[in-house]
This record gives sequence, structure tokens and C-alpha cells, in this order.
Amino acid sequence: MNKRYLLLLLVVLASAHLSAQEWVVPAENGAKLSPFAFNDSTRKAGAELYILNCKSCHGDPGKNNVINLVPPPPDPASVRMQNNSDGALQFKIVQGRAPMPSFKNILSSTDIWRVISYVRSFSDKYVQEIEKKSGRTGAAGLNARILLTWLKEKNQVQAVIMGMKDKITQPVAGTEVKLFAKRYFGNLLIDEARNTDAQGKALFNFPKDLPGDSAGYVQLIAKLSDETAFGETKADTTLAIGVPTYRPPLNEQRAMWNVVQKTPIWLLLSYTFTVLAVWGFIFYVLLQIRAIYKAGVKKDQETAD
Amino acid sequence: MASEVNTGFLHDKRLDSIATDILRPVGISKGFLIWMGFLTISLLGCIYAYYLQWEKGLIVTGLRDYVSWGMYIANFIFFVATSLVGMLISSVLGLIGFKWIKPIARIAEIIAVAFAAIAGLVIVSDMGRPERLPYVFMYGRIQSPILWDVTVVTTYLVLSALLYFLPLIPDLAISKGRIGHTPKWLQKTYEVLSVNWNHSPQQYKILLKSVRILLILIIPTAFAIHTVTSWLLAVTLRPGWDSTIFGPYFLTGAFVSGSAAVIIMMYFVRTNYKLDKYLTMHHFDMMGKLLVLVSLVYLYFNINEFLVPAFKLKTADAIHLHDLFVGEYAPMFWSVQLLGLIIPIILLLFRFFRKPLPMLIISIFVLVASWFKRFLIVVPAQENPFLPKQFVPHAWMVYQPTIIETAITMGTILLAVIIITVLVKLFPVIPIWEMAEEKHAGKNDEHQKSSTTSNL
Amino acid sequence: MTKNNQNSDPDKTNKALDIGNSRRAFFKNFGLIGATAAAGGAAIYSGYKYEESKPNHDFVKVLTADNRLVEVPRDQIKDIKVDLTRLQLQGREGLKGHRWVMVIDLSKCRNARKCIAACQSAHHLRPYEYHINTLIMQEAQNTPLYYMPKPCQHCDNPPCVAVCPVNATFKRQDGVVLIDNERCIGCRFCIAACPYSARMFHWEEPLMSESDKGKEYNIELNVPQKKGTISKCLFSSDRLRVGKLPYCVSACPNGVYYFGDENQDAVTNGTTKETHRLSELLRVNGGYHLMPELGTKPRVYYLPPKNRLFEFKNEGRNEL
Repeated sequence: MNKRYLLLLLVVLASAHLSAQEWVVPAENGAKLSPFAFNDSTRKAGAELYILNCKSCHGDPGKNNVINLVPPPPDPASVRMQNNSDGALQFKIVQGRAPMPSFKNILSSTDIWRVISYVRSFSDKYVQEIEKKSGRTGAAGLNARILLTWLKEKNQVQAVIMGMKDKITQPVAGTEVKLFAKRYFGNLLIDEARNTDAQGKALFNFPKDLPGDSAGYVQLIAKLSDETAFGETKADTTLAIGVPTYRPPLNEQRAMWNVVQKTPIWLLLSYTFTVLAVWGFIFYVLLQIRAIYKAGVKKDQETAD
Repeated sequence: MASEVNTGFLHDKRLDSIATDILRPVGISKGFLIWMGFLTISLLGCIYAYYLQWEKGLIVTGLRDYVSWGMYIANFIFFVATSLVGMLISSVLGLIGFKWIKPIARIAEIIAVAFAAIAGLVIVSDMGRPERLPYVFMYGRIQSPILWDVTVVTTYLVLSALLYFLPLIPDLAISKGRIGHTPKWLQKTYEVLSVNWNHSPQQYKILLKSVRILLILIIPTAFAIHTVTSWLLAVTLRPGWDSTIFGPYFLTGAFVSGSAAVIIMMYFVRTNYKLDKYLTMHHFDMMGKLLVLVSLVYLYFNINEFLVPAFKLKTADAIHLHDLFVGEYAPMFWSVQLLGLIIPIILLLFRFFRKPLPMLIISIFVLVASWFKRFLIVVPAQENPFLPKQFVPHAWMVYQPTIIETAITMGTILLAVIIITVLVKLFPVIPIWEMAEEKHAGKNDEHQKSSTTSNL
Repeated sequence: MTKNNQNSDPDKTNKALDIGNSRRAFFKNFGLIGATAAAGGAAIYSGYKYEESKPNHDFVKVLTADNRLVEVPRDQIKDIKVDLTRLQLQGREGLKGHRWVMVIDLSKCRNARKCIAACQSAHHLRPYEYHINTLIMQEAQNTPLYYMPKPCQHCDNPPCVAVCPVNATFKRQDGVVLIDNERCIGCRFCIAACPYSARMFHWEEPLMSESDKGKEYNIELNVPQKKGTISKCLFSSDRLRVGKLPYCVSACPNGVYYFGDENQDAVTNGTTKETHRLSELLRVNGGYHLMPELGTKPRVYYLPPKNRLFEFKNEGRNEL
């Protein structure tokens, strides 16, 4: 009872809140359309992605079991959610706003559209409008290549993007490139996203203090942002442009907390010496008991004699 | 202990009467059997309690993640503490030259041996995996105070046992032919243990030298054993334990509980064995004074331990002290400090209370209080960790000892009492030869010198 | 192996029958009797068990970990033996060239306790047995309440490791402090020594000790857990080995946790998967250590609860 009441209160409050802080989507983003048609396979893939990434806050679609946040995350089956255009949904998932995180580094753009296709499966009225120029945008897109080089004097990394068009290799101009340094658990964005110039070139300022391996090697990854046009185009190059970093193992020095082989010398010596000394005396005393015994035997013999 | 022994006492007639007095209670009496039977049956109950703990794990105790050391560790510290008195009486006072400790020295050593031996067992009762005890020797890290503790407790036990045994050898030899009233196997044991002793000056020379080595050796060892035990707590960062004076604080506390234990045993030996000729009013008077002295020193360390943090009231210390002074543990804390320390000091300043019976009662208070003092040192400090205790069942947050835990603790105490009973009842409890020698030497001295220096 | 390739061994036949019978009893309980039971029993049995008595070109039914019954050629079956010695060795050595660090952003924690649940399910713990716990904190009377997740701090000067008498708990080259419950004697000195109350003890039989029976002990997961030994946060060393973020870090819905390698100066958020410069993150947000005055040198950093994403809400409950 109580819970239901609370929920009601929450909905009222939330709608009041909502009008105050509407999530505005720029018109051009709102008009964006999915590059592919939604079908069962996209919905199925979307459902899996939804469970992994969205469910913890948005709950199970249609069951209204969203968690209690301000502003409240809408149920995907709700009118409030479905009233968004495809592009608006895509924009919101990519951008995020507190408390919703941005998914631009977690889900690829294709995956985001898959999630949207899953969300749309909860609306009867929805009819998909597909991007007209969807599909492949020509040979150039398919065969784009990225070449990374290190401009030492400027401390910059240069990315050159070339593509095939009309069977001729040409620079790809005016497209967005991102450069990442590979780290153990993810990719670190270097500088910021850049657009290629007429020569297909983009320059990234490389930080002077980024640690590389012990020889300074850093694995670089460059990606084209426009996945719709180019598919997943990326380059993977290892260059010696980081700060050579070698840090010794953390359990190297002698310390009280280290293993017995790494005991501090002073402790090792004083412990060993003390124990040996005291037990030396103890064994000496034990030998004296033997001496007493022997002295007794001798005396007995003497008196016997 | 003198560097030379005048073996003239062997031919002194008084040796006979001394030996008869001291050896009369030795042997197996009905009372002894009943007492041992009682102890054994009680012990069986305690062993069953330990069996339950072995089967189910430490869940049967009141210990949980926050208070993970409780009664067992308090008991361990108590045992180690009480055993230190062996060193205090025979070594410190003996080496200084006090003669009055002679009849008490062996009682003190018995306590030392029994309590040190059981201390090792107590620590096993606290282990989650007792069957892995050998790991301490196989994989020991010498940086760990536990390893130091194992080392010094073992060393102290061996030293105390030797210090009990070596001065006993001449007595065992003297007893030969005088213990006809005891069973054959006991006579045989005496025979074997007396290692061919025939009172030759050479044997006395070896004996005295060995005992002297032990007496000197045991002083640093005893200091080490209790200092290291205090470090089990003091090396941690916990408020209430994180103290630089824990070593001497524990050491002086140990002398208090040990002296009380000796007085209790003196009383029982004196009354049960009718040995008031040897354990005289003078001895009780001196022990009373000794107890006052060590209690005063302990009081001094108590003031240091509590006043300094109470003056500053650092956040964590303030919570801890609040618990002790006015909080949950206040009744126990003030009972312990008043009944176990301050009131005994005041009472024992008066000659009237330095008599056997009043001293027995005072000493029982002191000894019990010193057990609870260990409890107060161990438990409250853990109930107030740095970070809050949250999202655990209530039983996880506070410590409430269980019956099983108490039974196991009682069992260790019973074991110590059994060892003491056996040693007291089956072997001469007062050194016969030292008594006889003293009497003999006293007479000679009177002949040679008109004035003897008396100690104290 | 190929010698007794007929089902002639009387012992084996009996065994098969026995198991068939127990299967039958099993199916009876579910209302399936007779032939179905016999057939089903035989099928499942053959899937379970490697029968050496059949020729090599045969197929065997095998029950996979995700509960599918599949057929594989018999001669391609290999026994996978997880070797305890190897697990212990690699677990004690750690991952070379790394220094793991965790950053906990207190401005994002709303006590969802998802990290705790993920951790407890991975390590087979009860709801009140914590490797990581979220605490309600308040610095002073007039300062606000906030939630603080508290894992083991994996100190570089670990007081718990210093006191261990048998080297059961130890610090690896990559900074992780682990516990070997094959070695632990259960003295609980480490619990006494830890100022962060980060360690727990198995006072009773661990939650899943029955079902974990026979599993090879993995020191990096501390499973199977053992009665009478210590357990604690392991920074999910088993996951780090395969390049995955720790259980708690991945489970957080609010982006509280960052985890990474100090040597690479990078930490990755478990929720957004965004990677940041560690130094930058700490500089911008004013990162700090828990109780630095104790000199323990933790490997866990905290970012202060400033500009919080959630209002502090507490159901007035901090006991279980």
C-alpha cells in the first residue's frame, strides 16, 4: 500500500519536475534516423544490450519498476518515452545527463540503434522511418584506411585517412577522427575529436607526460566517428611516444610486511642472534644435568672402592 | 643464591625434622584423589565444549568480525602475565639477595611452569584452524609478533621448567628413603629424576652455576614474553591499543596478578600441609609489602595509560575512554580498578591486613580483577573501530561471550590447576635442602659473627 | 584404455545400473515413470560420465556449463585439470608491470549496493559478509551525511600483512593484498591490525561450502571459502588477469568506481567505460586517501562527495 502511494507521489512530483527541466534535443539530432530497418534480430540484440546497460535504472519495460531517482528514469513502454523521436532517443542515450550516464563510449552507434529498436517494440503505434540514404554510402566508405605518424618536433600525432573512390585512392576530407591510447581496461581519448582537412589529415596534440611501457611504447587507436558511412574503421599502431616507464614491483624492498625472505636485516640478525644465544645457554644447562649425573656415577664408584 | 654450599647441613640433625615436615603431605591421599576427580570431570565438560567449537567453528563463541579477539586472548594474556611471577621472585629478588624468598621460590616456579604451559594451549583455543599450528614453525614470518611470542613463550616455559627442576634435584635425593608412605612408581620417579645426586661438592658447584645462569637468563626472557604479548595489541593502529607504554604496563600488571597467585597458593600450602613453620607470618608480611609495591607501580602505569589520552581526547580515544569510564564497560572498569588495585593497595599498607586470611581474600580479588582487566584491555578497543559498524546483524557489533566459550576458558584454568595440584602434592613444595642449609648456616654465622645483616 | 572396449566389466555395468536407478527415483519425483525414465537416465548418465568402454569414433553427450546437452567426438575429450600448484603460484606472483588502483567517486554513490551484491555472489558470501561495504559517513556534526563504499584499501604499507605469522596474507608485485586460505591458521591478528575493518572471518561453514566441495582453490577468487579462515577484498584478481574490471566496479549502476593501472596513469569507469588520466581525475576532483595519517598508503583513492548526483536518502536502517 505504502509503496504504491509513494510511487504515485513520485509520479506526481516527477511530472512537476519534468516540466521544469525538459530535456531539450537539438532539432537536427531529433530528426536523425536509424541507418537500418528494425527487425527481430535487431530487437533481440537490443534486448540483451538493454538488460546489461539500462535495466538497472529503467527497469523491465511495461512493469513500471524503475528506480527512484531525480529526475525519474521513464519506463521504456511509457508514453513519455515513446513520444521521443528515434533521433531524440539516440541523442539522449549518447549524451546522457545526470543521473543518466553517457553511453557514447559504452555502446557503438549501431548498438544504440539496436537498443532503440528494442524500445520501439513496446509501442503498437510506432512505424519506423528509415534514413533514405541508408545502407552503404559507396566504395569510399568501405575501404577507408587510417595511417598514424608521429611528428616529434611538434609533439603531435598525425592521422591520414585515405579511401577508395572511383577506384582511385583519395584523401577523405571533413570526417571526424578520434585518437585513443590503449590502456589496460579501456581506451584513453587523446586530445579531442578532430576533423580531417582537405588532405585527409588530422593532427592531435599528444600529452608529454603519458606513460608508455618501459621503452616508451604506446599503442594508439584511431577511429572514424561516422560509423554509418565508414563502418568500424580504425587503426592500431604502436609508437614510441610515451614516457618510458618502469616502476619496480611493489613487493621488492625489505619490509616488515614482506615475506620472510625479505625480512629487514636488523630484525633477521637480532632475532637469530638472540634465539641462538638463549638456546645455547639452555643446551649448556641441559648438558650440566648430564654432568651432574656423571659426577654422581663417579662418586658412587669412589665410595664403592 | 650463595655461590657455595656448605654441605655440613647434611649432617645437621635439623635436616631430618625439616624433611619430615615437608615430605609428610607428599603422596596420594584421598583428598587428592577426590580433588583430581572433581577437576577431571569438570575438565571433560570443557573438552566437550571445545569439541563443539572444533566441529562448528568459532561461530559458537560470541566473537564476530568486529570483536574478533575476546575472552580467549584476554585469558591468554592473563596466563602469560601470571606466569611471570616465577621470574620476579626467584630471579629479581633472589639475585638481589633476599633470603625470605627461599621457601616461596618453588611455589612461584610452579605457577610459572603451569601458567606458561597452558598459555600455549589457550592460544590454540582461539585459532580458527588449530590443526594448522605446525604452519607457524613451517612457514613462520619472523616479522610477526606472533612468531616472537611463540619463540619467547617456549623459551620461558623451558627456562621455568629447568628452574623448577634443578633446585629440586637435591630434594629428590634427600627424599630417598623418606617417602616410604608414597606409591612405588612415585619413588621410582624420584629415583630417576634425582640424576645420581649424592650431594658431592662438585655436583653442588655445577648445580649452583647452572641455576645462576638460568636466573640471569630468565629475566630478559620474562620481560620479552610479556612485552611481546603486549605488542600483539600495541603494534596495531587501534585506539586503546596504539600505546607506547604497553610493554611496561603489561609487565607491571603481570607482577600484580602473579604475586596475588603466589599469595593464594602460599595460603593453601600453609594451611593444608601445616607448613606454618616455613611459610611464616613474616613471609606473608613480605609478600604483602611486595604486592603493594608492584601494585603501586602498576597504578602509576594505569594513570599514564588513561590520563594522557583522556587529557587530549582524540576522537577515537575519546569514544574508547567514554566506554570505559562512564559507558557500557564502566561498572567492570571501576570494579577492577577499585577492588583489584586501589583498595588492595590501601588495605595492605596496614599490618593488620598483611596476615594470611585477609591477604588470601585480597589476593583473590586482585587475581580475579586482573583477569577482567585483560578483558577490558582486549574487548572494548575492538568495539570502537575507526570506521562505523554498519549493515551487519546486531550480534556482529557487540561482544557477548557464550557459554561454550566460557567453558573452554574455564577448562584452561582447570588444566593449570591440575598441573599445580600434581606438582604441589607429589613433590616437595618447599626446598628442603635450602631450608636446612639456611638453618645450618645461621647457626654457624652466629658462632662466627655476632651481627648478621638482615634483609629488609 | 581400448582394451576393455566391451561393456563386459561387471563392476561397471552394476555401477551404470545403480546410477540408472537413482535417476529413475529422480524422475519419479517429477511424475515421469517407466521407459522414459530409463532412457532419460541412460542419456543423462552417458552425458555426464566419460565411459572408457566404448570405441573411439563414438560421440558422447556432454552437459555444458550453460546446461546444454551436446555431442562431441569421444577422442576429442580432454580432461581439464585445474592445478592447485599453478593457481597458487600465479596467484602469489601477481601481474607483472602493473600497479592497480581504484578511485571511488563519492559524489555518485547512492548506496544502491549493487557492488556488494556482485561481490558477494562472485565470492560466495552471505549478505552480511563483506569484502566491500557501503557505509554512512559523517565527518563532523554539521557536515552532511554521505555514502562511502569501503573495499580493502590494498595498502602499500599493509598493517595486516605485517602481522601475519604464516605468510597467509601477502602483498603482490601489482599491489594487491591477497589471502591464502590454504595457509591461514585463523589467528585473526590481521583483523585486529586492519584500521579499515576490511577483513572478515569465516566463523561458520561458508555459504556454499557444500556445492563448492571438490573445486580447486583459486587464491585470486578465494573460492571455495573455508571455515576458520580469513577472507577479504581481492580487487577481483581473477578478473584483472583476463583484462576485466573487478566485479564491484562493473556492477555499479552509477559510475562510482574507476579502476586502472597507476603505471599507465589511467583508470576506467566501470559504468561508462570511459578511461581517464588518473592524475587528472585526482587533480580536478581533489582526490584523497582514507585516514592517510596512519601511514598505510592505500591503493584506493576517494573523490569527495561534492556536487552530488543523488540526494542523501537513508531508510533509517544500518543494521541487518
